[in-house]
Amino acid sequence: MAYSDKVVDHYNNPRNVGTLDKSLQEVGTGLVGAPECGDVMRLQIKVNPETQVIEEAKFKTFGCGSAIASSSLATEWIQGRTVEDALAIKNTDIVKELSLPPVKIHCSVLAEDAIRAAIGDWKKKNGVAETAPAATAEAK
Amino acid sequence: MLKVVNSAIPVACWSCSVKQDEAKLFCPSCSKIQPPPGADYYAVFGLEPKLNLDVAELETEFHRLSRKLHPDRFARASEHEKDWSLADTALLNDAYRALKDPIKRTEYLLQLSGAQIGEQNSGKDRRDPSRAPADLLEEVFDLNMQLEEMRMARASGESDPNLEKSLSEAKAKFEGLLNEVDTDLRTQWTAWDSGEESAQAAAQKSMIALLDRRRYLRNLVRDVTEVLGD
Ligand code: FES
Ligand SMILES: [Zn+2]
Repeated sequence: MAYSDKVVDHYNNPRNVGTLDKSLQEVGTGLVGAPECGDVMRLQIKVNPETQVIEEAKFKTFGCGSAIASSSLATEWIQGRTVEDALAIKNTDIVKELSLPPVKIHCSVLAEDAIRAAIGDWKKKNGVAETAPAATAEAK
Repeated sequence: MLKVVNSAIPVACWSCSVKQDEAKLFCPSCSKIQPPPGADYYAVFGLEPKLNLDVAELETEFHRLSRKLHPDRFARASEHEKDWSLADTALLNDAYRALKDPIKRTEYLLQLSGAQIGEQNSGKDRRDPSRAPADLLEEVFDLNMQLEEMRMARASGESDPNLEKSLSEAKAKFEGLLNEVDTDLRTQWTAWDSGEESAQAAAQKSMIALLDRRRYLRNLVRDVTEVLGD
């Protein structure tokens, strides 16, 4: 299967590969898998407790080129956004940006799932209700 | 890849015009080759859609039909028949490949009955929590990290006996889990093959979950084996 230029670019030169310390209060970790193929992805965010802006995002993906590109792009997109803004990213946005073919749509779903899981984890850790602003965003 | 056409519509043979209930590779009346029947893979072999299947018998039938369809046999036939011998052979090969492998067969039959599985699936039913084995994901991810460490160590000419040991223990463990899944799948096959509606529905659900789990395990066993060797 031919990958689009953008996929190849992210694949050869992935942005933000790495690990954040998951024990930190301001770090949220999402670990997700694609049951369609058995690939796994971890996406982590570091959120400013005052502004709820995602200051840093890192990923680690064991999977296909499209999954690597989708997660690389996802980290680029969410950095600098608030968590609520980041939740607005849909897998279809990734599909469009990377021109993914139908058999690779689930790879973009994996990235969307990873964003949601990371934010969900951060919210849980910080006692933030699902959509309301920070209630008990205790500083570290 | 997967085309499901109702094969129970009567079709008439292009040569002798005798109507058949089911499209076949060869006309049962005059034995002439037919265009590729748009039927499911089971029908290509004249088999009932069942998960328990005699693979030796399937192989024999595959070889018999392959010989009958061989293009050499159609050297002096019409252009249509020549084309069909190629198209029928391709269909037969696809059908054989999908049915002889127990996992592909299970996925195929589940897809045939409407299950949304496999890489073609867009992942829209992902948020069904029964499809996310969280404990397994952790293990899969950690082991992948170790594998990467191992590859890097190897690439720089180092050896880490502790890491090697823990990886080969993990390999044995995950091979064991893979075998368990396969045993469980076979148990579900029989429930499915009973044809009883509620048993079939339950078996379908279990098999989808088992196949999901199996893909993670399969990748892992493949990757560990690649790093450690057999
Ligand atoms: S093939 Fe499954 S994540 Fe890309
Ligand atoms: Zn005929």
